[in-house]
Amino acid sequence: MSSRAENLARVARAATPTLLGIFGAVMLASPLRLFQGSLPTPLIPLVVVYFWSLYSPGHLPAASIFAIGIIQDLLSGGPLGLWPAIYLTVQYIAISQQSYFLGREVHVVWMGFAVAAMSVSVILWLFMSLFSGALLPIGGLVLQMLTTIAVYPIFAIVFGSLHRRVVIEV
Amino acid sequence: MDILGQDKREVFGGRSNSQVGLLLFSLVSLILLLSSLYAAEASVFKKARETALEAASPVLTFVSGPIGWVRDRVGDVGDYFRVLDQNKALREENAALRQWEDEARSLRSVIAALEELDVYKAPPSAKPINAFVIGEANDAYAHSMIVNAGSKDGAAAGLAAIDERGMIGRLVDVSANASRILLLNDIQSRIPVFVEGSFVEGLLVGRSTSNPTIAITMLANGDRIEPGQQVITSGAGGVLPRGLAVGVVSKVTEKEATVELSADYARTRLVRIINYDFPQVVETEAETPAEEPAEKVAPASQPAPPAAQPAPVVSQPVEARPQAAAATPPPEPVVTTQEPAAIVAPPAADEGD
Repeated sequence: MSSRAENLARVARAATPTLLGIFGAVMLASPLRLFQGSLPTPLIPLVVVYFWSLYSPGHLPAASIFAIGIIQDLLSGGPLGLWPAIYLTVQYIAISQQSYFLGREVHVVWMGFAVAAMSVSVILWLFMSLFSGALLPIGGLVLQMLTTIAVYPIFAIVFGSLHRRVVIEV
Repeated sequence: MDILGQDKREVFGGRSNSQVGLLLFSLVSLILLLSSLYAAEASVFKKARETALEAASPVLTFVSGPIGWVRDRVGDVGDYFRVLDQNKALREENAALRQWEDEARSLRSVIAALEELDVYKAPPSAKPINAFVIGEANDAYAHSMIVNAGSKDGAAAGLAAIDERGMIGRLVDVSANASRILLLNDIQSRIPVFVEGSFVEGLLVGRSTSNPTIAITMLANGDRIEPGQQVITSGAGGVLPRGLAVGVVSKVTEKEATVELSADYARTRLVRIINYDFPQVVETEAETPAEEPAEKVAPASQPAPPAAQPAPVVSQPVEARPQAAAATPPPEPVVTTQEPAAIVAPPAADEGD
């Protein structure tokens, strides 16, 4: 009995990144309206995906990322498959540059996140423009990405300690 | 048990098949994406969205409670600093509203007189459904809100949703207990509108910016959209009621007019879904296709289609009209001939079917 409970706890711990991503997707669908709506909600799942793809991709398999993205798509009412594609692209970027980023200073990794966020913004903008048949304004998207990039260090610290204390067993 | 225990590393810690999984799921999402590009409103996707809405609504209700509480507190703090400005603005608004009140009183007497007439048929009253905003899409290119009223409460896809300031959008996905409102500035939003003062009917198109625009396709000679004119729903197409306040024209170019929305999406918390039974045209013109929302009558008159002469709204001698109508009751709906006092709007006769 106790070993079963232990196993469950282990799995729950190992699934923490996935749950955090899903939580981020739910937060994106909640009427948070930071500073009276003047600041867009940061894309927490993007941080989750980048962070764990870089430091421990095994804890955030592609299936989890797909699930996070689909949940976000379903809640936002946008075209299905959009956010999974974007998050998987981020994972691809992170994994392919892993050997470069690991062991570097924090701000280098932060820059890497900024580059990844901006490249997927371009993909997002291109697809949505194609989808709607008009060139869409980029202001809102850039603001949201900048907000996400700005809060990245805070979340990276939190996720880092979470990873050490919870995800990897002590 | 080994699957959950010892081999956990292979499931949640292994690296061996991560590339394969990445490729596989990227492929799946690409296929999904392409299919939604070509069939965005496919019933499968719609069903999936509604199911997700239903499943997420308790979670979102749970999450939005504390958020609302915190926002109220923070909002209050902000209000303390702006209290003088707000006071001034409110006083001005109060003065303006008092003028409207006088006018509304006189109009009410006119309407009462009109309602005495035999030919008058009361418009079906709208039954608003109140709902709280429990979620919204914080996506750069998706503008929608999730409210906690669904088909159980009488909501249905296509209905208009308003808040205390004006129209905010229309319902797109409706599940049993929750529905999604597509906001007016979403790129998929198209709302038939009417510009008061210039008598132009148009289509309000969402641009994914904060303000949607009216696409101007054709203007008759003399029709001019000018900044400051009120924009209301036109009721064309027979889906939305006529006369919901939408916004004010803020900028006009050759091809489009930008509309500053009355609604403030950052403040919308309580919405009303207007469950409006459209009067069916039974015979030729015996029925008055009246389209008056219960509480959101736009301030100015609801004039006839663009061809009508631009009658000044306020300055009509209101007493003369009911008497004239009583003397010679016209065979057609009474109000059709009475533009200025026509809260019960006539125009759908040639456009609303």
